[in-house]
Amino acid sequence: MIDNNNVILDVRAISRHFGALKAVDRVSFQVRKGEIIGLIGPNGAGKTTITNLVTGDLKKNAGEVHYKGTDVSSMQPFQIARIGLTRTYQIVKPLQGMTVEENVLVGSLYGRGNRINDLSNARKTVHDVMELVGLYKKKDFMVSDVTLPDLKRMEFARVLAMDPEVVFLDEVMAGLNPSEVEESMELVKKVREDRQLTIVYIEHIMKAVMGISDRIIVLHHGKKICEGSPQEVRDNPAVIEAYLGKKYAKEVMKANE
Amino acid sequence: MSLQMIINAILLGGLYALMGIGFSLQWGISGIINLSYGAMVVLGSYISLIIFDVFKIDPFISMLFSGFLLFLIGAFAYKFIIQPSIKGGIVFTLIITFALRLIVENLILYIWSADYRTIRISYAGRNFQFLNSFVPLTKFITFLIAGILIYFTHLFMMNTKIGKGIQAVSLDKIGALAVGVDDKKMYLINFAVGTALAGITGSLWATVYSFSPHVIDVIIGRVFIIAILGGLGNIWGAAAGGMLLGFVETCGATFLGAHWQEAIGLAMMVLILLFRPHGLMGKKFFGQ
Amino acid sequence: MNIVWIVVAIIIFTILPNFISGYYIRILTAIFMYAVLSQCINLMSGYMGYLPFGHVMFFGIGAYMTAILMRGNLPFIVAMLLASLSAIVVSIILGFPVLRLRGHYFAIATIGMNGALMTVVQNIDITGGARGTTFPIIMLPPGQVYSYFYYAFLALMIITTFAIYFIVNSRFGFAIRSIKANEDAANSMGINTTNTKVVTWAIAALFTSIAGGLYGYWMSFIAPDEVFDLMFITNSIIMMLIGGAGTILGPVIGAFIVETVSEFAWSGFMEYHLAVLGIITIIIVFFVPGGVIGTITEKIRDRKIAASIKSEVAANDR
Repeated sequence: MIDNNNVILDVRAISRHFGALKAVDRVSFQVRKGEIIGLIGPNGAGKTTITNLVTGDLKKNAGEVHYKGTDVSSMQPFQIARIGLTRTYQIVKPLQGMTVEENVLVGSLYGRGNRINDLSNARKTVHDVMELVGLYKKKDFMVSDVTLPDLKRMEFARVLAMDPEVVFLDEVMAGLNPSEVEESMELVKKVREDRQLTIVYIEHIMKAVMGISDRIIVLHHGKKICEGSPQEVRDNPAVIEAYLGKKYAKEVMKANE
Repeated sequence: MSLQMIINAILLGGLYALMGIGFSLQWGISGIINLSYGAMVVLGSYISLIIFDVFKIDPFISMLFSGFLLFLIGAFAYKFIIQPSIKGGIVFTLIITFALRLIVENLILYIWSADYRTIRISYAGRNFQFLNSFVPLTKFITFLIAGILIYFTHLFMMNTKIGKGIQAVSLDKIGALAVGVDDKKMYLINFAVGTALAGITGSLWATVYSFSPHVIDVIIGRVFIIAILGGLGNIWGAAAGGMLLGFVETCGATFLGAHWQEAIGLAMMVLILLFRPHGLMGKKFFGQ
Repeated sequence: MNIVWIVVAIIIFTILPNFISGYYIRILTAIFMYAVLSQCINLMSGYMGYLPFGHVMFFGIGAYMTAILMRGNLPFIVAMLLASLSAIVVSIILGFPVLRLRGHYFAIATIGMNGALMTVVQNIDITGGARGTTFPIIMLPPGQVYSYFYYAFLALMIITTFAIYFIVNSRFGFAIRSIKANEDAANSMGINTTNTKVVTWAIAALFTSIAGGLYGYWMSFIAPDEVFDLMFITNSIIMMLIGGAGTILGPVIGAFIVETVSEFAWSGFMEYHLAVLGIITIIIVFFVPGGVIGTITEKIRDRKIAASIKSEVAANDR
């Protein structure tokens, strides 16, 4: 499944600062084809900013992003999307004034390779992905009339309709209840299998991240503090400290011993 | 550039500065591009005209009444017409303020016709000498009053409770709401202060220039330029924008001919929009 | 069903000039012209979310370029097409910088450009300056001249409406509507937003400039403060709002309503004309904010969804 020799996304020392604040500070990581990478960290750690930097929504102050061997550092978001590197938004960005179906349709009309020219062909793809995420019943609803979890599903469907190779999923499970989280995790695993997707998975819900990721990258104050398997990350003192603070971290470590 | 030109430019710029501030506050803080602003200014001129004709009261005094009346008109217009249209987006507010302009313009046409009017105060033609140049008396008084009013507006915004509330909603609406500032009231008062300044500008305008409904378009073109040059919602920015436009127009008229002054101002505005969209004074006051 | 009505309407308007006087032909011609302008504003604002307040500059360019080229002895059609070509070129050159601006800033920048362009036209010789310029006189009896422009504007209105209908319902149309909905999201979904905006503006400039050329020839005399008058655009915006922004027939219906109302109901009260237009606008904004067509389609959609929910509930009950 995971092709260890095939690095599909190579992030090299990217940085972004807002004034004096270093939101992302020389972060590097590699993603191999077929992997699910968890990107975690406390609030304000720079997870969303990294997504924005990789997909071109924000300009980098330094560093490079290589995707499938090409340098995409200076490309615009739409160019990056067209070569198959896409993302969902933590704060959903539905296309207002359109139906749920039309939102997904736009994804399949443009998306990778700028690909489907024919509306009726595009609609077929749309039906498939909407069935997959369980939104088909609500296809004719205006986006203003559906709930937030549905909008999150719609964003996921929209991104799948774009036929991507690498997807950054930015908190697609926020606001879901526990059983919906289970469902959503199954869904992510399933699309990875079916579509040979590579996923960078940003999430607050630890259980979800631990259960789903092949590898996890931990960020804190804009810096990468740890990278490894879920087990390695869970046991890493720096990570525990970042999440719980110094004092509790010591206690936890003691308890573990 | 002669001293006389500099004096002319400063005197013109002072009036422009006052004219631009109300519009800039309305746009920058209340978020309304008020296309009726020109009509409100001209209405101020006519209010002073009627008071002068009936009671022989000097426009420099009746300007207070213009300001007061226009404050009320602005408050009513905002409360009952403009504010309800905001949810419809920029197209609706633009069209609704344009409709307001049409109504005011029609009112003026109906009462006073389209002819140009002037207010002939007894000391209208007087000048005094400054070094080797002449300073027209009424223009000088206008300049002084404009300066004082700009300063008062600044004091109002900085030192009164309401002014601080207005500042608060313009800087951080959510934060202001959280500490109990009534945002709708602040927008309303700010808008009404803007129209009041328009009315006073109209009274001052009437002491130095003639006026008619045709002047509405001239004024609306000028206030756009001034507000964009200065940066929206920024009192001293708008004042600087007004001065700059005064200089540009005076120089343009002298060196290129009066026909071109309009194009120069507009071209300057477009360039600022493209390259420095927050104005020359450069502070970002509100989110897009 | 809709298509039948549209065909019937087209047939009626085609034979109508045989039965009505020159006065009514003139009014209908003006309605057709406004429908074209309003349709262009609708494409930019109703569908794409960019309000080009100074869009009348392309009307002026169309009128002036046609006049200038016809004085160079080109036949009308050739002059008009070359004029619209020049409008397209201008829209592309201006579009790349100015369409970077959003919301208010875009609207105001176009007003500034229009004003600057008007002043240039007022001050150079080739345009005849502020006094304006004339078109060659058409050597036909007045009645035929009237119906010539009637049919020309009718055809332009139909072509513009069909063209915009096909554009907004195509793949490109989804790009246009996505920009209005959320420009950043559109960009990250693979839509080249910059190019989409510029091409859309060029399309709007094309039809507007053709209308300008026809208008000039129809009037036979044009002046800068007339063909660069923002009133053309404010009227078009009002028509779009009344008919329904972002609907394909909205601008046409709006043009009919506004022009008819201002011509007939208030032609006897000229001095209130502006105030009445203002009051109508306020009423529309408050009571039919979706416009005529928008309100109707919304009702239909709501009914559909209500029906689907009802049938689902019924199915669950069974």
